[in-house]
Amino acid sequence: MLTKKLPPLQRFLSLVSRRASHATRQQYDVIVVGGGHAGTEAAAAAARVGAETLLVSQKIQTIGALSCNPSLGGVGKGQLVREVDALDGLCGRAGDWAGIHFSILNRRKGPAVWGPRAQLDRQRYRTFIQSELLSTPRLTVLEGSVEELLLSETNPEEPGTHRVTGIRLANEGTPISASSVILTTGTFLSGSLFVGQSESPGGRIGDAPSSAGLSHTLRERLGLRVGRLRTGTPPRILKDSVDLSLAHLHPPDSLPTPFSFLNTHTRCKPEEQLPCYLTYTTPGVERVVKESLHLNCHIQQDAKGPRYCPSIESRVVRFPGRQHQVWLEPEGLTSDLLYPQGLSMTMPPDIQLRLIREIPPLHRAEIHTPGYGVQYDFVCPTQLSPALQVKSTQGLFLAGQINGTTGYEEAAAQGLWAGVNAARSALSMPTVALSRTESYIGVLIDDLVSRGVTEPYRMFTSRAEYRTSLRPDNADLRLTLKGFEEVGCVSPLRYQEAVRVRDSLQEAQAALQTLSLSSQKWRKALPDMRMSETKSTLLTGMDVLQYNDVTFEMMSSAFPESLSRHMEFAQRLKIEAVYKPHCDLQKKEIERIQKEENMSLPQDIDYLTLPVSMSQEVREVLDRVRPSTLGAATRLEGMTPAAIVHLLNYVRTAAQRERKTQTHQKQEREREMCAREAS
Amino acid sequence: MKQHVYYQHLKVMLPSIYRGIWGAAVHTLKTSRGTPTCRFLSTCEGVPFGLADAESIFALSSGHGRCGVAVVRASGPASATALRCMAGVSRSPPPPRTALLRSIRDPISKEVLDRGLVFWFPGPHSFTGEDSVEFHIHGGPAVITAVLQALGSVPGMRPAEAGEFTRRAFQAGKLDLTEVEGLGDLIHAETEAQRRQALRQMSGELGHLYQDWTHRLKRCLAHVEAFIDFSEDELIEDGVLNQVDRWVCDLQAEMERHLKDERRGERLRSGVQVVIAGATNAGKSSLLNTLCQRPAAIVSPIAGTTRDIVETALDIGGFPVLLSDTAGLRESPDLVEREGVRRARERVEQADLTLVVADCADLPSDAQQAAAFLQEHLRSVLPPQEQPETVFPADRLLLVLNKMDLLPEEQRLELDGELRQVSGFPPVCLISCHTKEGVHDFLTVLHSSVKTLCGDPLSGAPTLTQARHRAHLQQCFAAMAQYQRYRDLDLALAAEGVRLALTSLGRITGRVGAEEILDIIFKDFCIGK
Repeated sequence: MLTKKLPPLQRFLSLVSRRASHATRQQYDVIVVGGGHAGTEAAAAAARVGAETLLVSQKIQTIGALSCNPSLGGVGKGQLVREVDALDGLCGRAGDWAGIHFSILNRRKGPAVWGPRAQLDRQRYRTFIQSELLSTPRLTVLEGSVEELLLSETNPEEPGTHRVTGIRLANEGTPISASSVILTTGTFLSGSLFVGQSESPGGRIGDAPSSAGLSHTLRERLGLRVGRLRTGTPPRILKDSVDLSLAHLHPPDSLPTPFSFLNTHTRCKPEEQLPCYLTYTTPGVERVVKESLHLNCHIQQDAKGPRYCPSIESRVVRFPGRQHQVWLEPEGLTSDLLYPQGLSMTMPPDIQLRLIREIPPLHRAEIHTPGYGVQYDFVCPTQLSPALQVKSTQGLFLAGQINGTTGYEEAAAQGLWAGVNAARSALSMPTVALSRTESYIGVLIDDLVSRGVTEPYRMFTSRAEYRTSLRPDNADLRLTLKGFEEVGCVSPLRYQEAVRVRDSLQEAQAALQTLSLSSQKWRKALPDMRMSETKSTLLTGMDVLQYNDVTFEMMSSAFPESLSRHMEFAQRLKIEAVYKPHCDLQKKEIERIQKEENMSLPQDIDYLTLPVSMSQEVREVLDRVRPSTLGAATRLEGMTPAAIVHLLNYVRTAAQRERKTQTHQKQEREREMCAREAS
Repeated sequence: MKQHVYYQHLKVMLPSIYRGIWGAAVHTLKTSRGTPTCRFLSTCEGVPFGLADAESIFALSSGHGRCGVAVVRASGPASATALRCMAGVSRSPPPPRTALLRSIRDPISKEVLDRGLVFWFPGPHSFTGEDSVEFHIHGGPAVITAVLQALGSVPGMRPAEAGEFTRRAFQAGKLDLTEVEGLGDLIHAETEAQRRQALRQMSGELGHLYQDWTHRLKRCLAHVEAFIDFSEDELIEDGVLNQVDRWVCDLQAEMERHLKDERRGERLRSGVQVVIAGATNAGKSSLLNTLCQRPAAIVSPIAGTTRDIVETALDIGGFPVLLSDTAGLRESPDLVEREGVRRARERVEQADLTLVVADCADLPSDAQQAAAFLQEHLRSVLPPQEQPETVFPADRLLLVLNKMDLLPEEQRLELDGELRQVSGFPPVCLISCHTKEGVHDFLTVLHSSVKTLCGDPLSGAPTLTQARHRAHLQQCFAAMAQYQRYRDLDLALAAEGVRLALTSLGRITGRVGAEEILDIIFKDFCIGK
């Protein structure tokens, strides 16, 4: 994958515009609005599933741009990247292409919480994403600003009170119709930029604000509940003006680990990688923040910002008198800028300069672009189904920051899943859901649609109850097979590879299981192993591989005839052995939850008048949230066991009624046919 | 045929759904009296034993109260083990459905707990369709407690959740569909009983202890999670984990002491909890004194004489009753009285049966108006979550109209007639604590209410909940050992141990969600990635 040649950008852009020229007259299956992390994954996924797809972006040049930090992955987020890759998404491979500093975070804390992460070259990342989109069959890219959504009569056979059937572009006024529309507008929905005391409309500096019409349609015509969130980005600093000798050098891993299951190495050679630098804030920084609070209108607003990505202002205000870390990260191989992670700020530019110069390595630093804050509207995600479709509106899907999340990885994950479902829906296939028991993507979407957000949502490993089963190493086994067999978003090539991996792992585990020896014999075979106690029972190879000081390599050299051919999977087998007993324990719980989630609740139940004995309180909760499965219903606050039993009974009898009606209709049809034939 | 397959699927579904939501429900809480030895405390190699959800369940199946024989039932694959190691039945299975007289022993200490009848019901010919065993033992609380705790130490056994035997019977197709319709209501009633019991016990000393442990475990988990999710990029001191090590160690030591200490804990509040409540000066204390036939509570004409709870243990027709007199419910500027009123309301919430006392002299003379007045009065006494839409819970409420001697005979009859006509009204008794008129009839009504409540093994019975708490505490203890075992090997698995410990304890004190853990993380650390 990494050996292919990327087309030069110029040629690429001309190709895109050529495609765009005849785009406007067409009818598409899926239209994706927005070309960020959510939009690009959505468009690519929809096209992979088989839908004729149009991606509309305000500026083709900024498709695939990293608006904030020049990095991908991390703890929790790295798991998302691996899962997006396992479903054949773009960001993992783009990260391997554009990465210039790879490291596995949490290396010493257990493979379930390893966090693959990379610093990226902004230019390379964008180029890769644009090139991928260009070479994706069935995908057209169009530059333009969406003025409003086209609405029409609802389809009476499906739930929903509105129906979206396409978009209208600004200026041109030509409508483009599609069965599904995915909005991935990021921070552009009624976005406002803040620097110091000035406020201007927009979602990212240097880009035009999005049209007010879209926001109006969502709120007023579709009646969606929206909230307001804020975020911010730090100033970019000229590398030459920084005294890096005063900061701590932070080297990358000596051997880069690729994000993608398809790649065995990264584009960047190990020795070409760039380091990061670590430095700390000083009391001077705190002083400047405190003196300038009155000049800072972003920080005084009450829109909710992320607790875990606070501006330097809120860090100082909430935890005064402390040193805070500042990471100085490269922006690219040839870029002359540094990105100061941890210094997001919204004060006036002259004060920003004063502030950064209070930090020793930055004592004479120059700012290239000042930091700024953004406030934007998000659509309360409890209004979405687990397919990321707006429950009340047929044909409308939302993904990314518009759903109240923060982060590239969270956006990419939602984009992919919205793209899959928008395409399936357009192609008259049933939508699909991922369970929180099988993936971080499932955790993310379930948290969003069943609990909603009060602050920008970011993924942490602690959000995943079954974290020890949902590991970065096994994302392919969890998702690639399903992605091909049930979802349709995975290429045959990737699928075949996943099947090979699964079969080899199973074979190797079977070989380990059949190695069954007494502890004395094991000690003889593996002299380096410290096995303190003597066990009377026989131990299998899987049991012994659990021991801390036993590696698969050791076992393979002791039993080469049965194990050496599995050396390719040495690390995965070791991880599997350590986690297996715990995962087996979790399995029962997971199976229970999956059963509940397979029991779907009709979306048009009138909970307020349902003829079962249920308290008013429970009725109101159900009516407000409208859980899509019985499993989601059990997790609602205030739900009682008795109510669940009543719901189950209701669903069962409803299903029986339906089956009866169907049988009845079928008999009717058959009778009709017979009658016709007879006549 | 299709329908049959669908039904099969449901049968598989249903119990699992129950367990999900019951697992999250707050369970009851009670002192751990009884067996001194603390079982399962060894930290074994591999996955801690007892963390897997046990498949077999046990419970006291007979009602509470003074009875000659109590029935303890167990169901599931471990029943055979229980039979073997507790009733000394040798390897070959005993004849099914036949009474065997056996010594019943503790499976670990082999101490004889009782001598009684044992029945073996191999599946599918049993109530639940699974292998089941019944122990018919002597009815004293000490014997019951000992046998329940012994069952709890049989591998694979755990105390049953509310309605679980019935659910399993449903799963096995032992109940027909019409019976299933009533299942929701049955479960509602049982979870309500558990809720009341939990409230009762959570307000005690032990409740505070368990809450404190939960709080500390939450903090442990939050700090481990912070170290996992943030330490690579954030300023999280390396000492964080050492601190958690100390906290876990302390908690384990405390829990071990607690599990071993049989003297610890509150006085057993056994028996049906009956609470006297109502307005000031209605004669609540007089009613208590009348019932226990001695001046247990101070009685005076001054409104607000009773300020604290006065408790008396009574025997009503052979059933144990714990009767509480409470402060009269009224708004008061007096701090002490306000606290008394708060306690009174709390006690009403926890009660199995509430006697609402009203003064006949306060009633409007028109019978219809009097009925409306009393309806309003009942609403003001009952806690808001039990406010009925139409009917008052007849089995949990008695209305006592005191000072009937102050009413003219004619008005008395009219009132009695009117109240009988109002639908959804609880049973009403007119009495006079002064002349003792009507007291005998009242006792008959009270006796029948208490008798009904005693038929329900959940009401007032501490033994089953004790066994349940013990099981959860032991799981919690074992899970903390997992933290220590993996602390330096794999922090994800170590954190999993703390998480399991918290889940086990949460089965007593209430569920802890991921958001709560994140809240602690952001409160304790400055995280700014």
